[in-house]
Amino acid sequence: MNQANNDIRLLLVVGIAAMLLLFATILLIFIFTQRKKLQYQQSLHSLKESQHLQLIEASVRSEETERHRIAEELHNEVGALLSSAKLHFHTISLAENDCSNLILYHKGNELIDESIKKIRGISHSLHSHILQSFGLNEAIKHFIDKLTCGSVITATTALDYTYITTHLPQSDISIYRIIQELLNNIIKHAHANEIHITSKYEYESLTFNIIHNGEGLTQEIFEELRYTASDGMGLKNIQNRINLLKANLTFNKSNELYFIQIYLPKPLSDETMIHL
Amino acid sequence: MLELIQLILDWSEVWALLIPIIIYKKQPVLYRPVVFYLWSALFFNLTIDFIWKFRTVIPTVYNSNNYLYNFHSIVRFSLFAVFFIKLNQPFLITVKKTVPVLFLVFFIINFGWYENFFNYAQFSSRLLSVEAFFLLFYVLQYYLFKINENVGAKIFTPDFYMTTGLGIYMVINFFIFLLYNELSIRLQTFAISLWNVHNISFIIFNLFIAKSLYESSKQ
Repeated sequence: MNQANNDIRLLLVVGIAAMLLLFATILLIFIFTQRKKLQYQQSLHSLKESQHLQLIEASVRSEETERHRIAEELHNEVGALLSSAKLHFHTISLAENDCSNLILYHKGNELIDESIKKIRGISHSLHSHILQSFGLNEAIKHFIDKLTCGSVITATTALDYTYITTHLPQSDISIYRIIQELLNNIIKHAHANEIHITSKYEYESLTFNIIHNGEGLTQEIFEELRYTASDGMGLKNIQNRINLLKANLTFNKSNELYFIQIYLPKPLSDETMIHL
Repeated sequence: MLELIQLILDWSEVWALLIPIIIYKKQPVLYRPVVFYLWSALFFNLTIDFIWKFRTVIPTVYNSNNYLYNFHSIVRFSLFAVFFIKLNQPFLITVKKTVPVLFLVFFIINFGWYENFFNYAQFSSRLLSVEAFFLLFYVLQYYLFKINENVGAKIFTPDFYMTTGLGIYMVINFFIFLLYNELSIRLQTFAISLWNVHNISFIIFNLFIAKSLYESSKQ
């Protein structure tokens, strides 16, 4: 009787222990496999993200190369042709009493001058040589001066000159292009006549604030527009560069004024941006 | 001191249920069988404990609480079976739906020919252990499905807590349920003290239910 009682006790204890052990094993296998799956998914996700960034990098790089090529061709080829045309134009001798041809001559001369100026302007805007020579702040200032020269638009800047462009200003070119695109949009679509740009460089992070009085964008509209294929090309471009810089772009409205903020946590190293 | 601990453990089948009952807020449809289980378990366990504590006052015909354990077992199995069938897991669907039918067949055969459902002296060890076996099947198929699933998702989900709590409870109690009738005849004192193990596992089970319902209401 006692032996049977002991057996039943033993069976109970061993049974519970075995069941617990089995259950714990299954639970551990479950947790480990789930963790592995999660890790695999995370690595897959980061791989996709890096591929996406590489694609953006490639497209930004080709865009920048194309801009440079067009700028150089405009400057060297079309610019040279126009200068040559102007020289030839000057050699034309007209009688002083030939009033009608004289008017046409002066008009033609003016048009050639204006064309040369425009070509130079476009070429400079496409090329980033000011940025490379004088830095981001000067490039932005120069662009704004050019944008507002001879127009009703008032633009002011308060840029932080403690920020200095390094010898390989690849990320700065992207920042410059973003600001260029945003300012073009502000004038073209928002019809603003007062623009104010500020920048602050603090703890290795750079912040730009653009304030204007036009009909600007809010964050919701921006999100909506950048996904619409036809209208949002420029905005998509901006977003791509923002993603590449791991920056943050926000749109806000307050008291009839629109605020755009570009926040760069820490300017990307040259190695990261070398391909741009 | 020991008496106080014993008293707390004796009533744990009631107060442990209050933890998830107090914690839970509005639950999605999937967790409603569990909520319903909590309330019905509270009713059964409260009645069981009252009958046990006042068995000397209650007339002999009514002072057995063993059939209530049988009822509790059937309700628990039915509601958790509904929970696992409704869980969005396209795995062993037919088998999962067949299990309640098998349980019903077992119930009819067992209580029709072999056992008395309203046995005065003891609850049905066979019923409770078969219930534990089937619920353990549901628990294991849950883990198997998750292991085989290609999509890696969050591990500690509300259904994970629910299944693990039930798994722990059933794993500990399978052999207790299976051998309890035998133990209550041969080793009565041991059987009574063994019920403390059941009570502790029931507290753990309720803590897991509480965590599960809390997480599910957060989502």
